[in-house]
Amino acid sequence: MFSTGSKYFFGISFLGAVSFAIYMFLIAESAIGATALLGLVAATALLTALVISTRDGSKDEDGFAASAAAPTASILPLIGAIGATLLLVGTITSPVVTLFGIVALLAALVEWAVLSWSERASSDVAFNASLRKRLLNPIEFPVIAAVGLGVIIFSFAQITLAVEKSVGAIAFIVLGSLVLAAGVLFSLRPSLKRSLVTGICVFGAVGIVAAGIAGAGVGIREDLVHAKEEGHYMHQECGAEKSKYFDKLPLEGVSATSSVDTHIDLIDGKLVASVQGIAGEQKTITIPRSNATNIVFRNMSDGEYRLVASLGSKMVTADVKEDVVQCTQLIPQGSEQMLTLNIPKPAEAGKPFTLTIPGLAGQSIEVIVP
Amino acid sequence: MRHQNTTNALVTNVNRLAGMRRRVVGAVTGIATTMFLAGCATNAPQDTWKPKGPNAKIIDDLQKPVFAVAGIIGVIVTAAVITAVIKFRDKGQPIPHQSHGNPALEITLTIIPALILTVVGVFTFRTVFDLAKTSDTEMIINVTGQQWWWEYDYPVQNEFGITQPIISSGQLVIPAGTKVLLRETSRDVIHSYWIPALNGKRDAVPGRVHLNRIEADKPGIYAGQCTEFCGLSHANMRMEAVALSKADFAKWVANQLKPYTSPAENTLAKEGEAVFMNQCTRCHQVNGMKRADGTPVIAAPDENLVSGAAPNLSHLMSRNTFAGATFDLLNTTCRKDVWGADSESFGAKYLSGVSEDCLNQTDLRGWLRNAPAMKPMYANPALLASTGGKYRGMPNLGLTESDIEKLVAYLLTLK
Repeated sequence: MFSTGSKYFFGISFLGAVSFAIYMFLIAESAIGATALLGLVAATALLTALVISTRDGSKDEDGFAASAAAPTASILPLIGAIGATLLLVGTITSPVVTLFGIVALLAALVEWAVLSWSERASSDVAFNASLRKRLLNPIEFPVIAAVGLGVIIFSFAQITLAVEKSVGAIAFIVLGSLVLAAGVLFSLRPSLKRSLVTGICVFGAVGIVAAGIAGAGVGIREDLVHAKEEGHYMHQECGAEKSKYFDKLPLEGVSATSSVDTHIDLIDGKLVASVQGIAGEQKTITIPRSNATNIVFRNMSDGEYRLVASLGSKMVTADVKEDVVQCTQLIPQGSEQMLTLNIPKPAEAGKPFTLTIPGLAGQSIEVIVP
Repeated sequence: MRHQNTTNALVTNVNRLAGMRRRVVGAVTGIATTMFLAGCATNAPQDTWKPKGPNAKIIDDLQKPVFAVAGIIGVIVTAAVITAVIKFRDKGQPIPHQSHGNPALEITLTIIPALILTVVGVFTFRTVFDLAKTSDTEMIINVTGQQWWWEYDYPVQNEFGITQPIISSGQLVIPAGTKVLLRETSRDVIHSYWIPALNGKRDAVPGRVHLNRIEADKPGIYAGQCTEFCGLSHANMRMEAVALSKADFAKWVANQLKPYTSPAENTLAKEGEAVFMNQCTRCHQVNGMKRADGTPVIAAPDENLVSGAAPNLSHLMSRNTFAGATFDLLNTTCRKDVWGADSESFGAKYLSGVSEDCLNQTDLRGWLRNAPAMKPMYANPALLASTGGKYRGMPNLGLTESDIEKLVAYLLTLK
């Protein structure tokens, strides 16, 4: 009764049903997972029924005759075994290893299952091979291309992180020029030997990967290591003076203007607030507790200024208190930047939350959190 | 004999079919009648056909003629379909002559709906722009939705006597005859604010502020409901707008601004305050509450709840509802008294708040005993891994009956 193809889909359907049962009984935290598994079961069950009803689309008994033939040798079981090993090793080393193991195992299982199925589809070997290609090539090609491209990009990133910034720029220009030149050559000489084209591409890719491995071996260049260690790019420096790292290349425009609660404008040295829905200029703004509220600072005064939100203090350890301060970058006249405030508690009595401009005395907007 | 049996079986089947048909017709008629009569319900506080304010009236002025036109068209189309089905049903007649297209008829049937839609569209656009008008706003209230309740905070507005921010939940208190602008947002997922008697719906979206203007003609209570599916207890996310006369609203404001008074020593309420401080202030704020050493008690809902906020319970007993307006603080008798009051006497009845005699002890005690049992919430401690141990809604605190007794006594002091 069961044809070769129907066994394949029935297998997936059965495994899906088992997974669904396990998921529901042991995990069941989300309806999304259950719905996905149930969908898989339903879809493969339908395919099983269709394949049985059409007997794998065969008009004759070739498929049954082919089932007697021995399967061809394949490297897929080995890949599956490596995947299973990585999966186990990953459980005691790193989740990344587990992830690689799962991917390798799943890929090998799918490839192997489809290969076995296609080899028994008919007694015509060529037809069976074309059947496998028709099913798997649309998946294999994009995946292989994406992985290959990812490896090359990652390798090139390792090169640019290892060498000096100016050398990295030159490397990028040289590599881009070489790719362009190769592209021009291939298009002008379509009669080039396939082996030559393949050789050039492989040579280039292997070269980049090798250089990337070498770059990773050398490690990240020193100034980046220091910047990371000292948190130059994450640490906000909210004083009046220009910060070497935090104020580097300040953003000068805000795109999410529809989600702005309040505009804080510095106009000719005067700080005013315009709150959405409230007419007139305000000197205090009220924002809900524990709610992300977007504030846009617009510098309309001559000079570079930043907006600083002083939001009280918080306990960082049992006996150490730290001021909570957020700020924009130092921005020139005509620029704007957004601050997102999320204040969990009201201000302590006598210590109001404020928005101020460093270096500009007497200008302050009070932030009230009820 | 055999022929007789066949005839009897045939008659039995025909009778059975006739009986089944009678039952189906009876059921359909019953359902249709019930639905028709449901439209006549008098106790329907969320009736969209009874506007109680200018904005709702603007919507009503549009929806009634549109509904009438749509109704007439609906009746005509239904009648035409039924007539065609009955008149031209298969009676064994030959298939009539088939023709392809009728340009005059097709153009007519395109132009007439287009004209109707154009007219409806013009009036709809005018209504949309009328409803969007906010320039003549007289009062501002920030409205923040979260699973599954609404928070209202009133920024300082000296012209209404609001000299310090006021924060409340469940019931939105507004002065009647005043154009009130609601600045709506959300702390977690998308909600939608809708009090049908006062205006249409407006979504409350995280990270955005949406404006919604309401105004009540007369004092009274107007019921509403969240209208954007927002999780497990969406159906229990209710709200009530309470409109007071301007004089009564001033009294309400004055009461909300009253400083906190700790219960007298050696009372059950004082013991309840201690329980509240130990258990409830992890999430709930009562403004002005202080510890024995004089330091203010600041709740930390951001550490315990996904939304980062729990209802501020200052002056709780000046409200008539709790738990996102799902339950009444007033018992049935007192609730009827407030809801049934005319606009002249309503203010005084509402402002009297919740006394011990009027308290809905059953629901309040039930809530304190096991909140998730009364309102579905994701409050199972075993399933909080995905939220970092934070709850959505109030968990079961495992309070003893003695604690509940003390807490009720304390909460009654929060007038």
